[in-house]
Amino acid sequence: MNNKFDALKDDDSGDHDQDNVSPKDCEKEKSEDEEKDPSAAKRKVVIPGAGEHPLQYNYTFWYSRRTPGRPASSQSYEQNIKQIGSFASVEQFWRFYSHMIRPGDLTGHSDFHLFKEGIKPMWEDDANKSGGKWIIRLRKGLASRCWENLILAMLGEQFMVGEEICGAVVSVRFQEDIISIWNKTASDQATTARIRDTLRRVLNLPPNTIMEYKTHTDSIKAWEDFHGLVNASGGR
Amino acid sequence: MYSNGTVVSSCPIPSRVVPPENWTQLPEPLGQTPGGTLFSTTPGGTRIIYDRKFLLHCRNSPLARTPPSCLPQIPGVTMPTQHPMGKLEEQDESGKDVAADDSQFVMDM
Repeated sequence: MNNKFDALKDDDSGDHDQDNVSPKDCEKEKSEDEEKDPSAAKRKVVIPGAGEHPLQYNYTFWYSRRTPGRPASSQSYEQNIKQIGSFASVEQFWRFYSHMIRPGDLTGHSDFHLFKEGIKPMWEDDANKSGGKWIIRLRKGLASRCWENLILAMLGEQFMVGEEICGAVVSVRFQEDIISIWNKTASDQATTARIRDTLRRVLNLPPNTIMEYKTHTDSIKAWEDFHGLVNASGGR
Repeated sequence: MYSNGTVVSSCPIPSRVVPPENWTQLPEPLGQTPGGTLFSTTPGGTRIIYDRKFLLHCRNSPLARTPPSCLPQIPGVTMPTQHPMGKLEEQDESGKDVAADDSQFVMDM
């Protein structure tokens, strides 16, 4: 592991740390430097179309997948996180969402991320580095509905925590699925409490569902401890 | 502001009027439904708030159906045609608030 930012790559809650993005915005875009520096995020302007309902923020869908069991080195651990596209209106959102497989039907170790435009779904983005997330572990069969309710609440500004929301993630794993919502300031307990209360209201979770708040910093430490332990007993 | 028939003076709530050319005319019933679409003033300014029912309603609009022009082709992740608005949709639009009777949530103890 070259730096601590790589630590989240194997985090079960779906964190990623990867620069291999392929920006692909669409919908009424005006692109400027098409050919320059493909590794940099292209500044494309996405705006609501005529007759469409604008959102408070623009958002970007991302997708990532990895093959489990690979050694946790920074090279082979390429998370291959890809942008699916960005949108600025309710109708544009549905155009993407209706043409994406539901999380419950995804295979393998996969994640969808829906983050505000300009915020990468990675710990080290400026918006996330002091932040954390509520995570909810779900038994199989619930992810599609919960993800939909979660993102509708986020897009509809139901959380009422100002600028604090960064994005949401649904992580499909072997025997469970995980949804999470990321906010900017982990130490802001009023914000995290309000997010938790909104989650309970909008998600209709099964009774006894546990919600856990993790700071991204703690997630890194947990990853480091886990992998340290495994290596000491004989490696992966 | 009226209270029990008497006029009560109060401080006006700061608000912003959005001119019609910047905003779509909402379908009549939804425009008047509380929690449909609000330009709500909160500390920090006006926010655009939509409730779940309204967002789901928008899904039926022709503007919401065509595939995005540059949808990446990722087999098993994206698809050129919409998934049928089947089970998930029916449960969502049962007419009442989210599935108290959703069988997925029955705990099998």
